[in-house]
Amino acid sequence: MSQPKPSSSLGALLRQYMPSYLAGALMLAAFQLSMNRIDWLSKQAIDAIFSSQAGQSAGAAVRPALWMLVLAVAAFFTRVASRFFCFNAGRDIEYSLRQRLLDSLHRLGMAFYRKMPAGEIMSRATNDLTQVRLLTGFGVMNLINVVFAVASALQVMSGISLRLTVASLVVFPLVMFSTKLFSASMFQRTRKNQETLGRLTEVVQGNLAGVRVIKSFGLQSAEERRFAAVNREYQEASLALARLRGMMIPVVGSAAAIGVLTFFAYGSALLLRGPSQGGISEGDFFAFSLALNRMTWPMVALGFLLSILQRGRVSFARLNEVFDAQPEVKDGPITPEKPLSGALRVRDLSFAYGDRKVLDGVSFSLQTGESLAIVGRTGSGKTTLAMLLARLLPTPEKAVFLDEQDVCSLKLSAVRGVVGYAQQDAFLFSTTVARNIGFMLRDPDSAESLEKIKQAAQSAQIYNELQDLPDKLDTIVGERGVQLSGGQKQRTALARALLWQPRLLILDDPLSAVDAKTEAAILDALRGHIGEPAHDGDRSLLLITHRVAAAARCQRILVLDHGRVVESGTHQQLLQLGGIYAGFAREQQRARELEELGQSDAPESLPTLSVGGQP
Amino acid sequence: MSAPKTPPPAEKGGKQASAPSGAEAKLRAFHEEESVKSSADFSNLRRLWPFVRPHLRYLLLSGVALLALAGLGLFRPLLMGNVVSHAAAKQPSALFRDGLLLTALVLLTQLVTVGQMYAMQLTGALSMGDLRTHIFSFLQRLPLRYFDRTPVGRLVTRATNDVDAVSEMFASGVFNAFGDVIALGGIIAAMLYLDWELALIAFAAMPLVALLVSYVRNGSKRAYRDIRTKTARLNAFLNEQVGGIAVVQAYAREEAMAHEFDRINGAYRDANKRSIFYEAVLDAAIEMISTLCIASVLWWVGGKRIGSTTHPVSFALVVTFTQYIRQFFEPISLLSTRFTVLQSSLSGAERIFELLDTKDIEPDDADDKLTASSDVVPSASAPAFEMQDVHFEYKKGVPVLRGISFAAQRGEKIAVVGATGAGKSTLASLLLRLYQPVSGVVRIEGRDVRSLRREELRERMSCVPQEIFLWSGTVLSNIAMGDPQPSAEKAESALRRLSAWELFERRGGLSATVDERGSNFSSGERQLLSFARALYHDTPILILDEATASVDSDTEARLQAALAVVLRERTSLVIAHRLSTIQAADRILVFHKGRIVESGTHAQLLALDGVYARLHRLQFGHDAQASSSPSLPALQPAPQP
Repeated sequence: MSQPKPSSSLGALLRQYMPSYLAGALMLAAFQLSMNRIDWLSKQAIDAIFSSQAGQSAGAAVRPALWMLVLAVAAFFTRVASRFFCFNAGRDIEYSLRQRLLDSLHRLGMAFYRKMPAGEIMSRATNDLTQVRLLTGFGVMNLINVVFAVASALQVMSGISLRLTVASLVVFPLVMFSTKLFSASMFQRTRKNQETLGRLTEVVQGNLAGVRVIKSFGLQSAEERRFAAVNREYQEASLALARLRGMMIPVVGSAAAIGVLTFFAYGSALLLRGPSQGGISEGDFFAFSLALNRMTWPMVALGFLLSILQRGRVSFARLNEVFDAQPEVKDGPITPEKPLSGALRVRDLSFAYGDRKVLDGVSFSLQTGESLAIVGRTGSGKTTLAMLLARLLPTPEKAVFLDEQDVCSLKLSAVRGVVGYAQQDAFLFSTTVARNIGFMLRDPDSAESLEKIKQAAQSAQIYNELQDLPDKLDTIVGERGVQLSGGQKQRTALARALLWQPRLLILDDPLSAVDAKTEAAILDALRGHIGEPAHDGDRSLLLITHRVAAAARCQRILVLDHGRVVESGTHQQLLQLGGIYAGFAREQQRARELEELGQSDAPESLPTLSVGGQP
Repeated sequence: MSAPKTPPPAEKGGKQASAPSGAEAKLRAFHEEESVKSSADFSNLRRLWPFVRPHLRYLLLSGVALLALAGLGLFRPLLMGNVVSHAAAKQPSALFRDGLLLTALVLLTQLVTVGQMYAMQLTGALSMGDLRTHIFSFLQRLPLRYFDRTPVGRLVTRATNDVDAVSEMFASGVFNAFGDVIALGGIIAAMLYLDWELALIAFAAMPLVALLVSYVRNGSKRAYRDIRTKTARLNAFLNEQVGGIAVVQAYAREEAMAHEFDRINGAYRDANKRSIFYEAVLDAAIEMISTLCIASVLWWVGGKRIGSTTHPVSFALVVTFTQYIRQFFEPISLLSTRFTVLQSSLSGAERIFELLDTKDIEPDDADDKLTASSDVVPSASAPAFEMQDVHFEYKKGVPVLRGISFAAQRGEKIAVVGATGAGKSTLASLLLRLYQPVSGVVRIEGRDVRSLRREELRERMSCVPQEIFLWSGTVLSNIAMGDPQPSAEKAESALRRLSAWELFERRGGLSATVDERGSNFSSGERQLLSFARALYHDTPILILDEATASVDSDTEARLQAALAVVLRERTSLVIAHRLSTIQAADRILVFHKGRIVESGTHAQLLALDGVYARLHRLQFGHDAQASSSPSLPALQPAPQP
C-alpha cells in the first residue's frame, strides 16, 4: 500500500491528529466556561429570590434565569462538539492502526506466523487496539476535560468560600487513589476472565473436533467432567470480576459521597451563619453544590484515566511488535523493464528450516511453454521448493532465476505477477463460490468475469457439482458457509488457480483428494490451458504431485528424495530406469487396480454370505 | 443458519450510493444476518426461564433490592431539603441529626446497590453456567451424522460467545430498567405532591426530552446494530486473512484485500462515529435539560411566586427539586444502551435455541424400552458380537452395507479385508454405535447394542482407530484416557507388555508432554500409544482399524509384535491392511460393495480363488515374493480354550 506510514511513537501518532484535539480542547474550555457562568447566574437568581427584601427582586431573578437558558444551550453544543472532535480522532486512529495491522500481516511471511499464533494476532487486533483507542479518544478527552473542569469549578467554589472548598475536596485524593487501584485489578481480572473463556472455547473446540473419537471411546462422561471444571472456572472468574465491581461502587461512591456530605454539613453551618457573619448565602450554597457536583465525576474518573493511559501505552507497544516485525522475504529493487516471460532456472538451490535441511543442491530449468512434474514422497521437500519459487519463503540469493534475473533482486510484485502458486491446502474464503474462483478478478460480478469463472470451474471439473449447491455459484462457502467436501474444495481452489493463467503456474499436489477419473479429466483440461497459444507468449506448468498418472502427462519429470533430485527424464525413461519413480508407478498401478476391483461387480457365483460362528 | 432469502433493505449509510449487486447484497445478508432481523423476539426470554428458575432466589433478592433502591432514592432529596430548611430555621441540633441520617442513607444505598448487583450477577453466572452445560451435553448427544455436515466453529460459538451475549443481560443491568421505571414514577409523584405547580414547570421540558430520546434512540439503534455486525465481520475477515495468508500472498491480492478490509473498517469507524454523535447528543441534552429545568424553576419562583402568601416557596424546596430533577434524568441517559444490550442478548438466545431445536437427535445412550425388553443377563454362549442382516447408508439411496450378517465367537480374531469403499470402516462404526443401522440388528454378547448403556458398551469394547487421536496432555493421560483416576502402574505395565517402556522412558516417561494432536510423536510412537491405551482399558472386545501409513522396517516389526500382544486373549475385529495381520486371523471376512462375499482362513480363501485371491495378488503379490512374509512367533493364533 502506498499509504504514508504512521510514525511509531504514540506521541507522534497523537500529533498527527493535533488539529482535532485542539478543536476538542477549545470546545471543552468553552463548555466549562459556560458551566462556570451558569453556576454564578444561579447564585444571582437564588440570592435575588431569597436573600433580599421582597418586591425589589422580581426582575433580578428572571434575567439570570433567562441567561442560564441561553448558556445551557451553548453548553450543549460545545459539549457535543468536544466529544465529536476527540472521540472521532480516537476512532480515526483506531481505523488507521487496524489498516496498518493488516498491511503488516500481509507483508509478513511464514516465519512470523509460526512464531505468533492466530489467536495471539487476533488478541492484538481486538484487545490491544481497543486499549489504544481508549487512550487516544476517551483518555485524551478526559485528560483535557479534567483540567478545565477543575479550574472552572474551583473558580466558583473558592470564590464562595475557600474553607468550604478545602473541606469538600479533602477526600478527593482518596477517591482517585481507590479508583486507580480498582481499575488496575479490574483490568487484571478482565484479562483472567478472557483467558478462562479462551480455555472454555478450547475445550469445546477440541471436543467437537474430536467428536468421532469421543464417541468411539465412549468418553462423553469424561468430557462432560472436563467441561464442567472449566465452566465452573469461568463462572468463578466472572463472579470474581463482579465482586470487584461490586466493591468498587461503595468504596468509590462512599468516598465521593463523603465529599458531598461534608459540603452539606459544613455548608449548612455556614449558611446558618449567613454572609454577614462570615458565612454564605443561599445562592452561594446552591452554586457551590452545582460546581462540586460538576467536578466530582472528572476527579473520580482521574484514577481510571491514569490506568487507561498506562494500559494504552503497553498495548501500543504490543501492536508495534507486529508493525516492526521484519518480513523474512525481502522485496527486491528491480522492476523489470518488460513483463517477465516466466522462463525459470534453478541453480544449486538448498534450503533449511533451522538445522533441518530440506533441499540440497536442486537444479533444473523450465522454458516457457513447457510442463514439468516434480514427484516425491511426503517430506521430500516438494512443497518447500514450490514456495521458494513463488518467494513465499526466503529464497536464497543466486539460486532461482526468472528470465535469467535473480528473483531476489526483483520486485516481489513482479515475481508474484508471473509465478502463480496454488497451495496444497485448499483454503477458501467465506464468500461465494464465484468470488472464490474469481479471486484474481477486478470486477468479479461482470458478465465477462462470470464467463471466465464458469470456464475455470468446468476445467477443474467442479462446475456441475456447483450447480447442485443451494445458490449455485452464488453459494457462500468457507468456514462460515456451506461445507464442501475435501475434493470439492480442492477443485474450487484449482479453478481459482486456472482462472489466473499466470505465465508460470505451480500446482502443489492440487488433486490429492480427487479420484483418478476426475483427475484425468482435469489434467486433460489443464493441458488445454497450457497449450493454449496466448497472445503474450506461452505458459508453463510446474506440477507437484505424488501421482504417477498425473506426472506422466508432463513433458519432463524430476524425482525428489530427501531434498535431492535423484531421477529426471520423461515418464518412459524413468520407468525404464527402474528406480524410485518406477516403484511409485508399480505401487500406484496396484492401488488403481484395487480400486477397480472394488468398483467391479461381485462375481455372480458368490451369493451374499451369511456367516455364522466357526464350526 | 440459512441466509434470509429476501435481500436486506438498502443501507442508507450515505456512502454506498450505487445499488449493490445481487451477490453483494446476498453476501451482506449472510455476514450481517443479524442486522436484517427485525425487532428482538421476546419469546426467547421465556425459553431462558427454565435456566434462571433454579436460581430464582437471587433474582428475587435482586428485585427486592431494586425496589428498595428506588425508595431510598426518593428520600435523599427530601433529606437534603431538610438540611437546608433546618439551616434556614437556625436549628443546629436538627441539622446534625439530618446530617447523620443523610450519611446513613447514602451508605445504605451503596450497600443495597452492591447486594442488588451481585445478586443479579450471581443469577446470570449460575443460570448461564447451566445453559452452557445444557448446550454442551446437547452437543454430545447429537449424532455423528450431524457433525458430518456442520462446521465445528459455528457450534463452538453457541456454547461460548452466544451464551456470553445472553449473560450480558444480567451483567450490564438491563433489568435495572424496571427499577428505573418505578423510581421515575416515584419522583414524579413526590414532586407533584410537594408542589404541583413547580412540578409542572419542571416537567414543561418533558416533551423535549421525549423528542430527543426518540431521535437519539432511532439513530443510535441502527448505529449500534451496525457496530455489532461490523465488529463481527471485521474480526472474521482479519481472522481469515491470517488463515489464508499464503493464498493472499501467492495470488498477490494484498492490495485488493486491504481495499475490501478498508470498506469494512471504514464502515465500522463511521458507525462508531455515528454512535459517538448520538451518545454525545443524549448526554449533553440531558445535562442541558436538567439545567433548563432548574432555570425555569428559578424563573418561575423568582417571577411569579416570590412573596406569594398563598404558595410560598422555600429554598429547601428548590434544593429538593433540583436533586429530583438530577435523579430523574440519570436512568434516561442509560435507556438506549440498555436496549442495545437487551437486543444483542436476545439474538444470542435465538441462535442458541435454534440449535437446541435441532430435531434429529438419536439417543446416544441406551434406549430404555430396548433395555427393558431384552434379557438383561447375557447368555454366556452368545457370540461376542454379531450382526444380523444389517443395512446402512450415509446418504439416502446410496447403500454402504447391504445385508451384513456374521457372528464372532469369544476369543475369535476376525480380519476384514476389501477394497476401498467396500464398507469396512462403516462396519466398525456400527459396532461402536456411532451410527444406527437402517435395518437389522447389531448385538454385543447377545444384547442389542442399542440397549446397552454407554458405560456398559465401553467396558466391553474399545477401539484403535486408523488415525490415532492424541490429546494435549501427558503420555499417562493419553493412555488412561477417560479414566477418572489414571493409574501409572497400569499404564507402565501396558507399555512394558508392548516392549515400548524403554522407548517412552527416553522421551520422559509417563509424564512426558504430548502436544496438540500428538504432533511431537512419530507415527510409530503414536501407534504404540494407542495400543497401550487398548491394553490399559483391557476390554474383552477390540475393534482395530489398522494404519496404512508405511513406516520403516524396524518400526514395522515392533508394531507387528505389539499388535500381537494387544490382540491376545481378546475377541477382535481388525480392518487389516497387512498380510501378517491377515494371516494371523482365525477368520477372514471379505467385503465387496457392502456385502460379505467370502469367509474363511487365508489358505481356504486362496484356494477358493475368488475376490480374496485377487485382492491378495494385488495387495501383497509383490511383497509376498520380496519379503517371503516372515510371520513372527507372537503372531500365532491364540490357543483356543
